[in-house]
Amino acid sequence: MEVDSDVPMRDAVDEPLDPTLDEDARAFPAVSEGETSGIADHKSNKPLELTKGSIGQLDKWIEHLGKCQILSEEDVSSLCKMAVDVLQFEENVQPVSVPVTICGDVHGQFHDLIELFKIGGPCPDTNYLFMGDYVDRGYYSVETVSYLVAMKVRYPKRITILRGNHESRQITQVYGFYDECLRKYGSANVWKMFTDLFDYFPITALVDNKIFCLHGGLSPMIETVDQVRELNRIQEVPHEGPMCDLLWSDPDDRGGWGISPRGAGFTFGQDISEQFNHTNDLSLIARAHQLVMEGYAWSHQQSVVTIFSAPNYCYRCGNQAAIMEVDENHNRQFLQYEPSMRPGEPTVSRKTPDYFL
Amino acid sequence: MSRSVQETDYDALSCRISAIVKGYMPCEVQIQKCGFSKYAEMHLAYANALRSTSRRAYGKIRKTVESALPVINYGTYLRTVSIDAVVSDFLEKKRDSEQLQILNLGCGSDLRAAQFLKRFPQCRVVEVDYSTSVALKIKTLKESPELVELFAVGSSVASQSTELITERYCLLPCDISKMDQVTTMLSVHFSPDAPTLVLTECVLCYMAENHSSQLIKTVQDYFNEGCWLSYDPIGGVEGKDNFGSIMRDNLRESRQLEMPTLMSFNDPAAYAARFASGRVPVQIQTMWQYYRVSVTSEEKQRLKALQFLDEIEELQIMLSHYILMDARWNKVRPA
Repeated sequence: MEVDSDVPMRDAVDEPLDPTLDEDARAFPAVSEGETSGIADHKSNKPLELTKGSIGQLDKWIEHLGKCQILSEEDVSSLCKMAVDVLQFEENVQPVSVPVTICGDVHGQFHDLIELFKIGGPCPDTNYLFMGDYVDRGYYSVETVSYLVAMKVRYPKRITILRGNHESRQITQVYGFYDECLRKYGSANVWKMFTDLFDYFPITALVDNKIFCLHGGLSPMIETVDQVRELNRIQEVPHEGPMCDLLWSDPDDRGGWGISPRGAGFTFGQDISEQFNHTNDLSLIARAHQLVMEGYAWSHQQSVVTIFSAPNYCYRCGNQAAIMEVDENHNRQFLQYEPSMRPGEPTVSRKTPDYFL
Repeated sequence: MSRSVQETDYDALSCRISAIVKGYMPCEVQIQKCGFSKYAEMHLAYANALRSTSRRAYGKIRKTVESALPVINYGTYLRTVSIDAVVSDFLEKKRDSEQLQILNLGCGSDLRAAQFLKRFPQCRVVEVDYSTSVALKIKTLKESPELVELFAVGSSVASQSTELITERYCLLPCDISKMDQVTTMLSVHFSPDAPTLVLTECVLCYMAENHSSQLIKTVQDYFNEGCWLSYDPIGGVEGKDNFGSIMRDNLRESRQLEMPTLMSFNDPAAYAARFASGRVPVQIQTMWQYYRVSVTSEEKQRLKALQFLDEIEELQIMLSHYILMDARWNKVRPA
């Protein structure tokens, strides 16, 4: 009896499996050192000034990307070069004014990002602040990050894009963005361009000096917002230290600092949040990073809010998404939304999320 | 339908290999408590043997090893180790019995039998599945000298066989939704009096409700003393929690895979109730509870060092929708 003879071989490689793995390489996959994409080789010494020509180009890209179609590799390269000349002049603590709509993780769920702009109002009419994690997990990380970066370059004062812990060379090799780039472009070049660009993303924002926004949370090495300003952020997200913590930490019901279950960053209690807000004269810490079923969740007696903007995360978690509008008078309103329908997307091409079968 | 169910075995196997390659397994519990040895070697021998018996399965393994996310490796590790621990615990408790039996229903490529055969000389293992799954497993075992030795398969069995019967290990085709086949298999291969561990690992969830309840009754009626160990997804409470309905739709759409009872045996109590007829004491826990309570903090630290587990909330949601149930009965000396 011939078993499975009818099935063509597609993925099999004729090499035996080798269980040996470098112990150190397990948590942190190898990143080829030295070789860069070149997007930051010719940085300008002043912020990018848009011309009629570049505006036309950007509008064309935005329209194209808005249909969930990827840019060519050459266009991604031009876009990233322009973006470096916008983002390198932003601050570690990027100032943002009200009104602004604050958003959490998107994770490559492009169609849900389009839904977000429908719910929150189109950019640039509405100001947006995104708190990181544009890539990985969802199936459209390339389209999502290209779109947001194009919007950033086109409307630099209208949209702020912070760095999340997934905007990193190492994490994207585990969680999907690297593989997606290989699949969609046939090489790692686009992945290199974007991950080189991620080094320039600001790591926190301060809304009207009152709401401190960042991806993860607080760090035991950071007591004041000014200390964040002193960090050198233009680098890969480190494995430890203040910059790592800002992108990885979580609030927790237990007081004080705790060990994070994630392997990086810390957990911080209500005492820590209240002290930080008091020291820095803040009303709120807004952060993302954690899946919350309602799309937003308060913690530490409203000193911290978590916002998560990827509905039905990974196409299987069944959560709502939310964004937080802050108006001129600092009134806050949460808008929740469900996953968008994905019209025209053939179900067969859709990858099933993984389950234990 | 049977093909899509059968293919879930490739998922289970490739996830297990991935967790092994990434260093999750074998773990302390498997080595110390269960006495496993050459665990990774055994699995890699099987995976490599699949290169010549099923390129499809082998391709799936390679792909999964490259791309399985930490949540999947965690869940696979927890499922595998928690089952190993209960099997080991049951056999150890009954060590003084002259004979011990394991019935693995819908066994697929599960290889744990070899480890228990080695450790408990009085133990017999009978594994059943679809005929194509059984044929593939026989062929694959025969392909590897290490596995032939581990399973004591012997050289006499032809690799084209449709069933494998040795003194202590049998691999048989059996449609477990057909009670005549189940009854025959039981009466030919099992003593009703020896303590018997029955295992259904992601098997009952693919069966129609009347088939699974007949199966449970038939098997529980046959054995005087037993332990039924079952691992399955539970759908959660609809309206309050839509993980289950999304899972059902996703798998139906992309894999033509049905889980007929996912939303009816949707929480631990409902799941356990089917086994609790009479005075059968049932223990059931979600895999999240198992992770929280039964995995030591040292072990959690070890796992964390293997891969960044960024998605702890997602892990909680997923693990809360899988259960491990352990129902034990003894008609001679009821508990």
